[in-house]
Amino acid sequence: MAYLFWIKIAFLFLVRSKRATLALGLMIFSAVGTLVFISAIAVGINDSMILNSTGLYSGHITGLQLDKTITKQRLFVKGVSNVLQRFQIPGTLYHQERKEIQTLMAVNPDQELKNTFLWKKVIKGNYITDKKQEILISHHTAKQLDVHPGEKVIFKSGSSVFPFIVAGIFETGIDRLDNGIAFCPISILSVPPENWDCAIFINPGADLETIMVSYASTGVDTSLLKTWKELMPDLTQLIDLNRISMGFIMILVLGVVCFGTACAFAIFIISNIREYGILKAMGVTPSETTLLIFSEVILLNIIAAIAGTIAGIIVVFITSKTGIDISNFTSHNQYFVVSGLIIPRSTPASLFLPSLLTLSFCLLAAIWPALIVIRQRSCDILRSI
Amino acid sequence: MIEAINISKHFGSGSKKVQVLSDISFRLEKGKTLTIIGKSGSGKSTLLNCLGGLDLPDKGQINCFGIDINCLCEKKRSLFQREKLGFIFQSNNLLSYLTVFENIVFPLVLNGFGKKERKKRVAQLLEMLKLDHLACAMPNELSGGQAQRVAFARAIAHTPQMLLADEPTASLDTQTGLDLIKLMVSVGIEHNITIIVSTHDNEVIKYADRILYLKDGKIIGK
Repeated sequence: MAYLFWIKIAFLFLVRSKRATLALGLMIFSAVGTLVFISAIAVGINDSMILNSTGLYSGHITGLQLDKTITKQRLFVKGVSNVLQRFQIPGTLYHQERKEIQTLMAVNPDQELKNTFLWKKVIKGNYITDKKQEILISHHTAKQLDVHPGEKVIFKSGSSVFPFIVAGIFETGIDRLDNGIAFCPISILSVPPENWDCAIFINPGADLETIMVSYASTGVDTSLLKTWKELMPDLTQLIDLNRISMGFIMILVLGVVCFGTACAFAIFIISNIREYGILKAMGVTPSETTLLIFSEVILLNIIAAIAGTIAGIIVVFITSKTGIDISNFTSHNQYFVVSGLIIPRSTPASLFLPSLLTLSFCLLAAIWPALIVIRQRSCDILRSI
Repeated sequence: MIEAINISKHFGSGSKKVQVLSDISFRLEKGKTLTIIGKSGSGKSTLLNCLGGLDLPDKGQINCFGIDINCLCEKKRSLFQREKLGFIFQSNNLLSYLTVFENIVFPLVLNGFGKKERKKRVAQLLEMLKLDHLACAMPNELSGGQAQRVAFARAIAHTPQMLLADEPTASLDTQTGLDLIKLMVSVGIEHNITIIVSTHDNEVIKYADRILYLKDGKIIGK
C-alpha cells in the first residue's frame, strides 16, 4: 500500500476542503490550547503549594537530630541547592511573671532570609539579625507572655540562661509553627548542641527520591531525613487530588469537544461520501479507504494540535511573566501562607497529553463514519447523490 | 470475452419489490462496443453496475475475461476494478478536491505506474483531448464537456480491458456528446478495449458493434 500517496491525497482533501477543515481544526486547536493552559495552571498551583509549604520553613527535606558525623557539606549532593543548619534548644521563655515552654531554634538569619519565607510572616517588629541577642516569637507566645517587640525576655534551658530582646512576632496560620517555636541567631550560642537539624532545599525539577538515594549511597542515615511528602501527607494527597481532578477535567473537556468533533467528522465524511463512492468505483479497497479517512483525521489533528499547543505555550509564557494572583481566594489556606501567586508551568505531560488524548478521541470518532463509507456499495453511494 | 448469464436483480421487498433486471444474458467479444438502449428506469445503469462489480445481482453469473466477478471477495473485486475496468458516469464524478492532472493520474498511481510513465501518459491524454491548458484546473472550473472528457481520460489512463459508460452524453449537448462517443470508440479500437455504453440517445447506436434493447429489466431486442 502506497502510504505516502494516501497521506498526500488526505492532505489535498483537507487543504481543498477549506471551510470544513478550518472549522474542525479550530475546534481541536481551541481544545488543545485551552487544556495546555489549564494543565500549566494546575502544575503552577501544585508548585505554589509546595513552594509555600516547603519554602516557609521546612525545606523539601527536613533533617532532625543529625549527629556530628553528618556534616553540612555531606548533604550537598547533586540536585540540592542549599542546606540550612539549625539547632534545637528546649526550654522555657520568661517575661516578667509569665512563662511559656518553647523550643528555641538557633538559625543563621542571613541564610534563612535568603531561602525561607518566614520573614514574610512577621506581623510586628522585624526578623532576627545575626550576632544580636534577638528572638523571634510567635503571636500565640507573645500573647501568652504579654510581650511586644523591643521588650526583654529570658530563655532558660537547663543551667543556661539567654537574655533576648524580642525582635519580632510572627504568625503563619500553621499550628506546628505558631505554637511553641521561637527563633534566635546561631551566633549567640557559645557552644551549640551536639545534634543539629537541617532544612534541605532542592533545585527546581530535581527528584526527591533520587536525592534520598544519593544520601543513602553516601552512608547518611536516611531515617533521620524526611521529605516533605512524608512530613506533609495532606499536601501530597492534595497534589494527587489536583492531578486526578485535572485528569477528569481533561477527559471531560476533551470528551465534550471530541463528541462535537466526532459529529463534525461524521458530517464532514458523510457530506463528502460522493468522493469515497467514486474512489470505490475506481477500485480503491476498503483498507485503502480506511487509511485515507484515518490519514485525514491524523493530519488534521496533528496540525491543529501543534498549533493549539504552541498557542497554549505562548499564553503560558505570557502569564508566567506576571503570574496569576489568587491571594483573594487563599488568604485562609495554609498551603498558600506566603503567596497566592500562581506561575503557570508547562510539563511534558501537560504539553503532550491534550494532543494525544484529542488524537485518540478523534480516531475513535472516525471509526463510525469510516464504517459507513466502507460498508456502503459504491453504486448505492453514487445513486443516493 | 464478457458473458452475462441469467442476470436478475430486484430492489426493495414485499409490496415495494421492484424487479430491475430479469434473466439478462448476452456475450460480447473483446474489443467490441456494446450499446444498451432503454428508457429511464429500464435497468441500464443497474446492468452496468453489475457488469462492473459495483453491484451484485441476486442471481446469475458474470464472467469478465474469465473471472466470475460475483465470486470475488470485496478486496479482490476492488483490485479487479482498478486494473481491468474504467468507468464513466452520467455526471462526470471527478474527485472535486483533485485537479484535472491529479484526477487522471489517480488510476495510474493505483495501478503502480512509475512517476515518469504517469507524467508521460497524462500529458499524452491531455494533449489528445485538448485539455493540456487545464491540467491544473479544479473540476468546478470546467465546462460539462471538458469535465466529461477528463472523466474519459481518467477511465482509460491505465488502458483497462473494459470501459463502462453510464449515459456519458446525457448531460452534454448533442455535438459534444457525439464527439465524446467517437473518441471513445476510436480509443477502444486502438487499444482493443471492450466498451459498454448505456444510453437513450439513438445517435450513439451508429457507433456500436452490438446493441441491447432493455425494457422493464428485460432484453426486448438484440
